[in-house]
Amino acid sequence: MPTDIKMRAEIRRYDPSVDAEPHYETFEVAGQDNWRVLDVIRSIYERQAGDLAYQFACRVGRCGTCAVKVNGVPVLACQERCKPEMKIEPLTPFPVLRDLVVDRSEIEARYEQHAYAPQRKTEYAGGPEPIDPLLAEDLCHKGSCLACMVCVSGCPAVEERAFDGPAFMLKLRHMAEHPADSGNRLEQAIDAGMLECFGCDLCTQLCPADLSPAQAIRDFRRDMIFGGSKKHE
Amino acid sequence: MTAKTEVFTEHVDVLIAGSGAAGMRAAIAAHDAGAKVVLLAKGPRRANHTRMSGGRYNAVSGFNPADSTDAFFRDTVDSGVGINNYPLTRILADEAMDRAYDLESYGLAWDRTEIKKYYMSMTGGGTFVRTLGSIDEGIGITEVMLHQLHKRGIRICDFHMLADVVQDDSGRVTGGLALDLSKGAWRYFSAGAVVIATGGTSQLYETSSGPAINTGDGIAIALRAGAELVDIEFMQFIPISFVYPPSARGYTLIEPAHYGMRHFDPKAEPAHLLNTKGERFVLKHDPVRREGSTRDILARAIMLEILEGRGTPEGGVLMHPDPQVFDAFLKERPIYIKRLLENYGEGHARLQEPIQVTPSALYTLGGVRIDPWCRCNVPGLLVSGEAAGGVHGANRLGGSSMPDIQVFGRRAGIAAAEDAREYAGGGAAQLDKARARAAALEACMQRNDGVRPPDIKKRIQKLMWDHVGLVRSGAKLTETLAAFRSLREHVLPTVKVTNKSRVLNREWMEFLELENLLDIGEAMAASSLQRPETRGAHYRTDFPALDSNWTANLIVRRHAGQLQVEKKAVVTLEKAVPAREKIAGAIA
Amino acid sequence: MSKATLPRNTTRQAEGLQYGDVARTLHRFSGAAIIVFVLVHVIVQAVRQVPMFAALNAGAPWLQTMQEQNWVHAILFFCIAFHTLYGLKLLAGELGFTIRYQTAFWGIVGVSALFGLREVLRYAGI
Repeated sequence: MPTDIKMRAEIRRYDPSVDAEPHYETFEVAGQDNWRVLDVIRSIYERQAGDLAYQFACRVGRCGTCAVKVNGVPVLACQERCKPEMKIEPLTPFPVLRDLVVDRSEIEARYEQHAYAPQRKTEYAGGPEPIDPLLAEDLCHKGSCLACMVCVSGCPAVEERAFDGPAFMLKLRHMAEHPADSGNRLEQAIDAGMLECFGCDLCTQLCPADLSPAQAIRDFRRDMIFGGSKKHE
Repeated sequence: MTAKTEVFTEHVDVLIAGSGAAGMRAAIAAHDAGAKVVLLAKGPRRANHTRMSGGRYNAVSGFNPADSTDAFFRDTVDSGVGINNYPLTRILADEAMDRAYDLESYGLAWDRTEIKKYYMSMTGGGTFVRTLGSIDEGIGITEVMLHQLHKRGIRICDFHMLADVVQDDSGRVTGGLALDLSKGAWRYFSAGAVVIATGGTSQLYETSSGPAINTGDGIAIALRAGAELVDIEFMQFIPISFVYPPSARGYTLIEPAHYGMRHFDPKAEPAHLLNTKGERFVLKHDPVRREGSTRDILARAIMLEILEGRGTPEGGVLMHPDPQVFDAFLKERPIYIKRLLENYGEGHARLQEPIQVTPSALYTLGGVRIDPWCRCNVPGLLVSGEAAGGVHGANRLGGSSMPDIQVFGRRAGIAAAEDAREYAGGGAAQLDKARARAAALEACMQRNDGVRPPDIKKRIQKLMWDHVGLVRSGAKLTETLAAFRSLREHVLPTVKVTNKSRVLNREWMEFLELENLLDIGEAMAASSLQRPETRGAHYRTDFPALDSNWTANLIVRRHAGQLQVEKKAVVTLEKAVPAREKIAGAIA
Repeated sequence: MSKATLPRNTTRQAEGLQYGDVARTLHRFSGAAIIVFVLVHVIVQAVRQVPMFAALNAGAPWLQTMQEQNWVHAILFFCIAFHTLYGLKLLAGELGFTIRYQTAFWGIVGVSALFGLREVLRYAGI
């Protein structure tokens, strides 16, 4: 049975169209110990700050649109458990539209640029593609990446270097392993700054979908060293 | 006196509202047919119902020699208790597999047992094993489709909520008025054709499984434009969903069939559902299929147990899964196991402990009445996906929504491109209409005193859950209609927002949603009142039996501000395969 | 009963150790410490052994004090061990050996701490 608890949430407020700079507003919230951060935010919107701008949709960790930073760590608001003290901020390093909502235009531009649809050498012939069942499983695991950008936000290399981010590397690897794709995904990855990865596995730890972009990068690097598949030739 | 509302305009061939699979598939088809397409997403483009789906896909792949498109058709009509739009259902059965191959061509890897043989499972209510799936579920489907849109350079406008369609004096739709929520700016897209793929109305209910944005916008917009709705009284409730935490409450746990060996074999045992007295109460309602019954019967059975006081304190019943299924379940649906682990605990995730479940509003069975090419009675307006009605009748088979949105999404796109080619354009007169509508929707921004939208939304949701949900009665439906009228006349005009910021003003968005929720809520209540029987998802305590005189559809339309409900014969095929007569529930 | 590994429970991501952050910071710090050490070491040896630099000898009494602190050496040895082992872990990963980041982190920190501890013990005469 969940118990009643009192929480304090400090939320970063910022409206670029009117505010000179961001400020933090603190809210006392009465809730239960099995609440998620999203429940706290919604409670604040419903009872205390009707002008709070925040984003969510599915509330069960599938759409990935509710990602925020809680106590300095990027998480999905709908998944992360509430805490007695929470500092809630919009996901860095993206431009802030208002309060906790960020502008994803550049993210979508990167997705478009990387061209994650299988680049076929021959037309799709209809019928099931010949894919090994275990490979299909692995492709599906990579296919369940939410594009939530939690890994990109947490990545120290994205912060410091010219690196698109772990999520994009994972999707490149997804395509590289897809039998129907003939693009030179390794080259694309290197162009996107794959070599800047520190191998710190923070992305693996933070991923809400239990994926490992760092492993995808390691697989690419291994291909780079030892010569990977020749699908793209 | 406020300044004239500024509305930015542009012209497109096909305007699509909705970023789920139906909208995206329409975009792909319309683009490939040569149309200039713009797709509007109410929030970030990945926020849609398809995303949340388990991605189960019913289709006749040929891998089960016992199955056929006739059998799939028959199963769907049986499940729909005979009021399906037979031609639409036939199309679903016939075209589902081709669309599954389309997804494969986009990069989706259906689960396999061999390199070219798909893995199939059962669905609650179907006769043969035919359901395909992929481990990445709705996430995988939406991602591969998004990349197809990127590949074609189709423009997607995030945070663009379709507020209304604009029509010329003959009633022909000339474009769509959208609110760019990220800026608070109005945009009028004049278009040769508008496709509504905005999903369903799950947010009308207190406990629901859908995303927060599914407030039935598109269906309401169509209704206001003069479109006919069909079967709008039919709302599918998923029998089992999470009870806690609050954010996960209502999120589907699919069906008890999947938590037992019945997942593989239609004759095997599903998971058992027990009330607080330890009784398998479903046996009262469907002694033959037991917990492997269809969603309508199961959801009603559970709801009645809870209402009659035999549910848990949190408002649920207990599902006893079969741990033998765990390995397969973990392999097929790891995301579900993860949620069970995170929301309930390890024992529950391993299917070793009883799982607390409750029904939840899932799927809008009715919707805008369409023809086989997704056109409705309003020229220039097409509707596909959950927003359209007729494909599934009175109850939908699990796994049939995924093929529905692909099949009819594509058809809507093809037809929209065709309609756009033939249409010359609306002209400048429509911009004034758009401006006027935009001005009206700014009303709440000007008020300083009043009620906040979230409060009204909750009232509507509670009324719908209590009286227009799983358990309905004539008296309560009439009461609800009166309550809605009162809300519309007395409360809606007093809505205000806390902050006048135009950027991402959630209360403003909810204000726009309120009118849609009321429109659909009224239509659902009125239509439910007019159906004096129990069939599929529609259950009346005052008319608990199936009435064969009511093997018919109710058509709802708005005329001069009034709702008109009309009974019409079911649309059958010439050589229709007759539906097996089924009695819905042993109570009858 | 199946003993298959469950997916992770990712509802407490903001609590607990951010392994990658700590590891990366430690790797940086230890790398810097090694560079500083090498620099100091080179200068000291130059001063001691190359007559030309002997004049600098007088100006660094702190050097003597520092060398007498066991903890300075402990930290130094920890740094060298950690930087090497963690670097090897990164290399191994790229060559195809997958190691769980939690195991690798604590294992490496543990072993490196042993090196540091060894210094403390050495100073204590054990």
